[in-house]
Amino acid sequence: MGPIWRALLRNKSSYVLIALQIALTMALMVNAIAIIQERSRLMGRPSGVDEENIFQIYSSSFDPDLEYQSMVAADLDLIRNHPGVVDAVLTNSMPLRQGGWSQGLAIAPGDNSDAVGVAIYFVDEHGVGTFGIDLIAGRNFLPTDVRWFDPDGGPRWPETIILSNAMAMALFPESTAAEVIGRVAYIENNLPVTIIGIIDRMQAPWKEWSGVERSMLVPMKRGDDFARYVVRTETGYRDEVIPQIEKALADRDTGRIIDGAQTMNDVRAAAYLEDSAMIKLLVFIVSLLTAITSLGIVGLASFSVARRTKQIGTRRALGATRRSILRYFMLENFLISTVGVLGGAVLAVAINIWMVQIFALTPIAWYVVPVAMLALWIVGQLAVLGPARRASQVSPATATRSI
Amino acid sequence: MLSMQNISMVYRTETVETHALRDFSLDVEEGEFVSVTGPSGSGKTTFLNIAGLLEGFTSGRYSLDGKDTTQLDDASRSRLRNEKIGFIFQSFNLIPELDIFDNVDVPLRYRGFDSAERRRRIDSVLDMVGLASRKKHLPSQLSGGQQQRVAIARALAGEPRFLLADEPTGNLDSAMADSVMELLEDINSKGTTIIMVTHEPSLAARARRNIFVRDGQLSVEDAGLKVAIGS
Ligand SMILES: Nc1ncnc2c1ncn2[C@@H]1O[C@H](COP(=O)(O)OP(=O)(O)OP(=O)(O)O)[C@@H](O)[C@H]1O
Ligand SMILES: [Mg+2]
Repeated sequence: MGPIWRALLRNKSSYVLIALQIALTMALMVNAIAIIQERSRLMGRPSGVDEENIFQIYSSSFDPDLEYQSMVAADLDLIRNHPGVVDAVLTNSMPLRQGGWSQGLAIAPGDNSDAVGVAIYFVDEHGVGTFGIDLIAGRNFLPTDVRWFDPDGGPRWPETIILSNAMAMALFPESTAAEVIGRVAYIENNLPVTIIGIIDRMQAPWKEWSGVERSMLVPMKRGDDFARYVVRTETGYRDEVIPQIEKALADRDTGRIIDGAQTMNDVRAAAYLEDSAMIKLLVFIVSLLTAITSLGIVGLASFSVARRTKQIGTRRALGATRRSILRYFMLENFLISTVGVLGGAVLAVAINIWMVQIFALTPIAWYVVPVAMLALWIVGQLAVLGPARRASQVSPATATRSI
Repeated sequence: MLSMQNISMVYRTETVETHALRDFSLDVEEGEFVSVTGPSGSGKTTFLNIAGLLEGFTSGRYSLDGKDTTQLDDASRSRLRNEKIGFIFQSFNLIPELDIFDNVDVPLRYRGFDSAERRRRIDSVLDMVGLASRKKHLPSQLSGGQQQRVAIARALAGEPRFLLADEPTGNLDSAMADSVMELLEDINSKGTTIIMVTHEPSLAARARRNIFVRDGQLSVEDAGLKVAIGS
């Protein structure tokens, strides 16, 4: 290894560029992996609801004589009794929909108490079952808890609420879920609501929100002409149920448009469209760069083998076996790659520190650096294999035959 | 020691067949200094390459040190070259990016000696060729004669039984050629068998035995050559 290294140093200029290219590829690879891991982690967060079996559908009425409350009652009755449907609910939003309603909730009344922001899902006693969320303490709403919103002077909020565990812990950090049951919180500064249940998890509709795990179920139905139904089906029935429901609703009442049928999977895909596009782009760029680098290695090694044909013949004449010639070029590449990946490791960490500061990215996991080093070492060895094989096939007679 | 029987060597290209050696038979005894002369293209290098196991041959038998080489695989031939044969080339064939020390080290590393043994041998052969002070020089920093001395040191470092030289003085002026020749004679006097191809009649004449190759065949041996070169 000593002489190979010394020979490399004497020809620095021809190898510096490729080492630099390896270093840049490595730096980019590590930081791309860091971004991909970060995005994948965000994308991997569970919404808490039964995503595979849920879809939403809208009804928009244009009939001026519409009896909204009886329309909703009839629609829900129809949907809930449809074969393959588990449950359905009238609601204002769902996780990952990127649009919804939020409100502040405080543990003490008054204009000055600190309110914690929380996403609101208006539901009835079917909300828990429709979203497929788990109650970990307390109870579900009873039909008697649920009321219609009355714009003409009725109470603005019902008396009971169910909180996500994250919201409960944000309000009462010292308590367990069970201890929170029966406690009173205040909405719109002074209106008391009693916490009757805690659900394990249900994300807010906005995936970027720092409080994305804080949500609240409110037993209230509201609306005047637009209705969003969320439906949960038996496993495997979703796709066949959707068109049936669309048709049944449209047939039941013709004074409206049934629209916007969308599975929860599609809602999720739309919410994370940018992230998955980013991941694909990064994978593409890193693969492309790695391919270019390995082509560069192939090119440099081929050139170096061609330039040293006579030297290879001489080494063979002096007793080198084919294996030792092969090993020579593999080892040479390994040394160049090592310089490259070590430089790349330093560069990668520097870029990462900078990105953490500028973009508030989480720092790379320690193992990404050695994994990327290993990957580029392997890429280098594979790239050099062809030229090294050719070198090992150079005839010993080249020593006397070439000028 | 070295025994060739009815060796023939045919190079086939798409258009022509070249009979580089035909029915070539030769025995060289231990300790001999044999010079090989002949016109250009007569097959001298081909003979030397076969003798040095650098290439195979089309038919015949060749045994080296009593061992038939016909069936040997590439790795064993490499080992034989490394252990028994030293090569000296017309254009020196030093490795340009290695210094003198590392150049002489090349065959020793393939031999698998430990570093102390290699250092001892390198110092001793470089001392012998009078270049001990140039260890850290690159080949390009030496004169042609000095480079050839390094090449000789490299050939000798493994203490081979044979030294094969293809026009070792071909690229040197006569003074340098003379000093290289003296070195070879000195080496031969210590027991190493030498076969040397040369175009220089005066150098060929200094060998104890001369062979003349014409058209891939051994022409007239010994006395015959003396006539041919007119000494
Ligand atoms: N690899 C090869 N392929 C085809 N023909 C070859 C090859 N090597 C040598 N020859 C031919 O074999 C013949 C003998 O060549 P060789 O090199 O042995 O001659 P030489 O006596 O060493 O000549 P010179 O004195 O010019 O070095 C020549 O005709 C040459 O063209
Ligand atoms: Mg020749």
